[in-house]
Amino acid sequence: MMKKYKLIFIVFVFMTVLGGCAEQKILERLSLATLIGYDGGEGENITATAIIRQVNPEFESNVETLSATARTSKGTREQVSAQVSKKVTVGQLRVVLFGEELATAGIRQSIYTLLMNPEISNGIYLGVVEGEAKPFLEYQYENITDISQHIFNLLEHNIERENSISSTLHEIGRDYYSPTRQIVMPIIKRKENVIEITGVAFFRSEYMVGRLPAKDIFYVKMIRDGFEKGTFELVLDGENFESVSTGETPEELAIALDAIKTKKTIKLIDQNTPEYDLNFKISVRLTEIDASIHTGDKKTLEMLEKEINKKMESELSRIIQFTQEIDSDVFGFGEHYESRVSDSNLTHEELAEMYSNMKVNVQVKSEIIRDGVFGME
Amino acid sequence: MKSMNSINSNHKINAFLIVAIISSNQVGVGVMGFQQQLYQNAKQDAWISVIISFVLAHLAVFIMIKTLEIYETNDIYEINQDIFGKLIGNLLNVLYITYCGSIFFLILKTYIEVINTWVFYNLSPWFLSATLLLLLIYAFTGNLKVIVGVSFFSFVITFIWLFSLIPPLEYAEVQYLLPVFQNNFSDILKGTYSMTFTIVGFEIINIIYPYIKDKKKVNRYAHIGLLGTLLIYFPILLVSLMYFSGEQLSKTIWATLTMLSIVRLPFIERIDIFMICFGVVIILPNLCLYAWAVYRGVNSMIKISLSAFIWSFSALMFILTLFVQTLTQLNDISRIFTHVGFFAVFVFPFFLYFLALIKRKFRKTQVIQ
Amino acid sequence: MFGKQKQNIKNESEDYKGLEIDGIFPPLKKEFFTELKEITNSPADLIIKDVTETITVAYIENLVDGQVLNDQIISVLDKSEPSIPEALPNLLNIPIFKLAGQKKEIIYDLLTGNVLIHIEGYNLVGLANIAAAPTRSLAAPENESQVIGSQVGFNESLATNISLIRRLIRNPNLCNEEYSVGRQTNTPFSVLYIKAIAADENIDIVRERIANLKIEDLIDSAMLAELIEDNSYSVFPQMLLTERPDRFCDGLLNGKIGIIVEGSSMAILCPYSFVEFFHSREEQNLRWQLATFIRLLRFSAVFLSVFLTPMYVASLTFHYEIIPQPLLIPLSESRAIVPFPPIIEALILELIIELLREAGARLPTKVGQTIGIVGGIVIGTAAVQAGITSNILIIIVALCALASFTTPNYMMGNVIRLLRFPIIFLAGFWGYYGIMLAFCLLGIHLLRQSSLGAPYLSPLYPPRILDWGTAVIRLPIGLLKTRATSNGTFNRKVHNEKAKPQRDDVMKE
Repeated sequence: MMKKYKLIFIVFVFMTVLGGCAEQKILERLSLATLIGYDGGEGENITATAIIRQVNPEFESNVETLSATARTSKGTREQVSAQVSKKVTVGQLRVVLFGEELATAGIRQSIYTLLMNPEISNGIYLGVVEGEAKPFLEYQYENITDISQHIFNLLEHNIERENSISSTLHEIGRDYYSPTRQIVMPIIKRKENVIEITGVAFFRSEYMVGRLPAKDIFYVKMIRDGFEKGTFELVLDGENFESVSTGETPEELAIALDAIKTKKTIKLIDQNTPEYDLNFKISVRLTEIDASIHTGDKKTLEMLEKEINKKMESELSRIIQFTQEIDSDVFGFGEHYESRVSDSNLTHEELAEMYSNMKVNVQVKSEIIRDGVFGME
Repeated sequence: MKSMNSINSNHKINAFLIVAIISSNQVGVGVMGFQQQLYQNAKQDAWISVIISFVLAHLAVFIMIKTLEIYETNDIYEINQDIFGKLIGNLLNVLYITYCGSIFFLILKTYIEVINTWVFYNLSPWFLSATLLLLLIYAFTGNLKVIVGVSFFSFVITFIWLFSLIPPLEYAEVQYLLPVFQNNFSDILKGTYSMTFTIVGFEIINIIYPYIKDKKKVNRYAHIGLLGTLLIYFPILLVSLMYFSGEQLSKTIWATLTMLSIVRLPFIERIDIFMICFGVVIILPNLCLYAWAVYRGVNSMIKISLSAFIWSFSALMFILTLFVQTLTQLNDISRIFTHVGFFAVFVFPFFLYFLALIKRKFRKTQVIQ
Repeated sequence: MFGKQKQNIKNESEDYKGLEIDGIFPPLKKEFFTELKEITNSPADLIIKDVTETITVAYIENLVDGQVLNDQIISVLDKSEPSIPEALPNLLNIPIFKLAGQKKEIIYDLLTGNVLIHIEGYNLVGLANIAAAPTRSLAAPENESQVIGSQVGFNESLATNISLIRRLIRNPNLCNEEYSVGRQTNTPFSVLYIKAIAADENIDIVRERIANLKIEDLIDSAMLAELIEDNSYSVFPQMLLTERPDRFCDGLLNGKIGIIVEGSSMAILCPYSFVEFFHSREEQNLRWQLATFIRLLRFSAVFLSVFLTPMYVASLTFHYEIIPQPLLIPLSESRAIVPFPPIIEALILELIIELLREAGARLPTKVGQTIGIVGGIVIGTAAVQAGITSNILIIIVALCALASFTTPNYMMGNVIRLLRFPIIFLAGFWGYYGIMLAFCLLGIHLLRQSSLGAPYLSPLYPPRILDWGTAVIRLPIGLLKTRATSNGTFNRKVHNEKAKPQRDDVMKE
């Protein structure tokens, strides 16, 4: 009995000595690439710009921006490695950005590489930079010490607040590999010393084919994923409210709404065209409205609701039309069609092409459940 | 026929532990990435394949227990010897031992492969196999009680992991499951077939049966055990079907792990890495129970002591792991064993039951005469 | 497996209390006492005193009560002058009195505080027990203190301890078997159990193991526990050592077997399962919700205490990916000035904590506390400033130490702390894989252990859900209908009923 224990012990010690340890990756002895921006280079080369966080005993921690150009992303990693004192690792990568030019030229290879690497989490965010990624990242921002963390937080909180399209690597991969649904990504841009989300980029397959400004992100998100807790602003036509106004109505009546509950239903009503009914039922809270309008009145509220419906319907239709024009089915109508029509013998390509001829009827039914604590009669 | 190795009542185990034994032996490395092959065959109807395969498993278990009930105190090796005679019976036993040993080897090697691809890129495989085998030896020399204990804890802790499926649900799209029944039935059956390597493990009942105290309850608990496994596999499959889009899933080798990599907890991220290392707990019962199956088989032919057996068996497995080096080799072997496993688990028991019935009839008439 | 060897009963001639002297004394006074002196090596405190011409008493001065000796023995003998030893029992008013002829019995009794009364011409002598053993007065148990509950602990006297127990359990079924072991020390000890609750199997195992004991000396019960437990090579104790009479009685009433050793203030309880080591007697006295909460807190503390530092080491050495972004900067910055890899850092700090604990335990109570505080603050702050360890690790290590101190059993608490070191090594070499190896090894090891043949991990494994009401959580007493099966008891029924409310004034109104 004792002999056996001893034997096990000896074998263990023996193995420790012989087998050695696994390759160590001690946190403070690594250069952590936390953000990578890709730009198209000459020919087939790509330029990678990495934000690298290092800790030194003297500086405590610092952030460097380095870039390199090579054929593969691993190659760029090797080149970046040659520029820093510690081994470069991507396990803490949070954000990957693509220059607009590269995005237009295709990002297939990048997505594939990112998905293949087990070091990289599927939860990292992807985005498009207006212009080139390199100057965007190399710029010395006044109030931002760590640009990667800043961009990560920027994207994360906007996605959480439902102000931006969610663009995790997983979702990009999912949509990219789905033949009947296309990728969308937020676009970010430097504006003086501030970084902001300026719009949304639409892709067809791997190529960026169009974009819409930031104010439309809400609607894109609404059609794509529905929304739960977003706050949004609508500009209504002031003329319609003259009858209920107590003072001078502004020409454009801006209101702010807070969504409480929404329900999105999508229904295929004609398989051949195909034609879709897209219905939204939303319950909102009115948070801001011109002082001249009394919301205590039932008639006013009804009128408001009607105007909200009209406005939203037109906006949503406009966006669907836009995506049809650029033939980018980011809302997954094709996917929906495929999943409902089981006997369609259409190939994926045919399904994808069908999108531009699809007819989508948008209907919004809004209900104002609550308004503020002041102004009721 | 009286069992050659009569079992001390101290070594007997409670019938309800069969649940843990069967379930923990079924859940193995397969749980980390069984979705890919399944999806390639059955597409969005993969879940139907899983249900069919579990129905088949229930049937197979039912037949296995029926066969065992005829003999009451014997395991499959002794039954083989009884039905086919010493020579052919032993030949069959050698084949069965080879089957169990190969499954053991595949599990061990696949797990090492996962660790090497995901966590430690250059930790030498032989070190991993040596440590796992030493763990096995330590558990094994504690006799069946310890092995069953290992299964029990593994079973309980594996269920806790199901909670990690909740965060990926945020990205789930129900419409990926639609349309139902769109694929050919033959594709769905192919999916079922590809599940074989994932679902095998319940045949351990063939070996454990003589050790169970209350034999009447075996049937019930064995089926509950299968249901337990279904409760682990089915949610995982369902969530991955909704989480990944079609082609993405068919390209993702370790879908469960990839899915978990998105989970972020306040103090820990990348649950996948944790899960992989946790795999030791998941595969340990598989290793122990298959080694036990081999041990009983060897013991039915040559008398060998427990510790002598396990040391030499481990040494053999260790040497074998050194030979298979690449992933493609491993894939080839596992493809072969899908067929072998299907035969051993889903075909052979029916055959055996049939023969055992005939034999019993024959014997009865003999007695009467 | 070790148990097996012990269970082989060897039928050797029964040594009377371990003394290796045979035969009987000669009847004549002179020869008798010459031989007595020879055997006992004529110690300075052996007094041989002639009461009359025929009657002689002998005793060891330091062991007997002088007052009783004079009043109850010498004066009585002087007056009545019995001529035969058989007359002695009726004559003397001594509660424990016997007649003996065997040498070893006489010698043994003499050495335990008996007065030997010899009458010329007889080799049968009277032995009157008037032992006056120096004992400590009863004090509060220091190692197992509790806030609510009785504050009395065992002391070093076997008789006192048994009287403490008999005062809590007034039951004729409380059995007491006395044994003694030790070739040199002849230490008596008692095996206590409640008949019809304790399993006969267990009692037999204890008897067998005691019968097979062949040892030179026995100074403390901890030694006895180590000698009779199932696997003394394991790091985990398989028998409980307690100094609380209430905990001891609680065990007896649940079918456990207790052993009390003369000269030791710690009593042994067995069989004892792993989970029970983390119970505190106080939980029985608290509200059940609170008790359950505290118990679960303690279980998680144990887990944390063993695995937190290794997890820190593994995460920082191999798996930097798993660190969440908000923690990344504080962690890496606090690590930046530390010149060692995490494993060395963790080992240094853990060793410092162990040193502080050991120093605190060895020093007198008052100084010990000061050392703990001063050492903790000064060394902790200095270590961070000197750049030997990181701030965050100090918090983690302190948390682990704190968690390990919540274990109510001192022995188990020490084991929990010791376990951390090998796991830190494994974590430092192979990251989470190493931790998982350790986790499995630990699990298998615990599965392999047994206490008096009962599975060590019960009621977790083999799973006995009914026992979880007392083992894992604490159910209100009214709900407890069964005793724990893990003690092997066959008498499981407990008749706990809550007192019915007598008054319902409120309802009447």
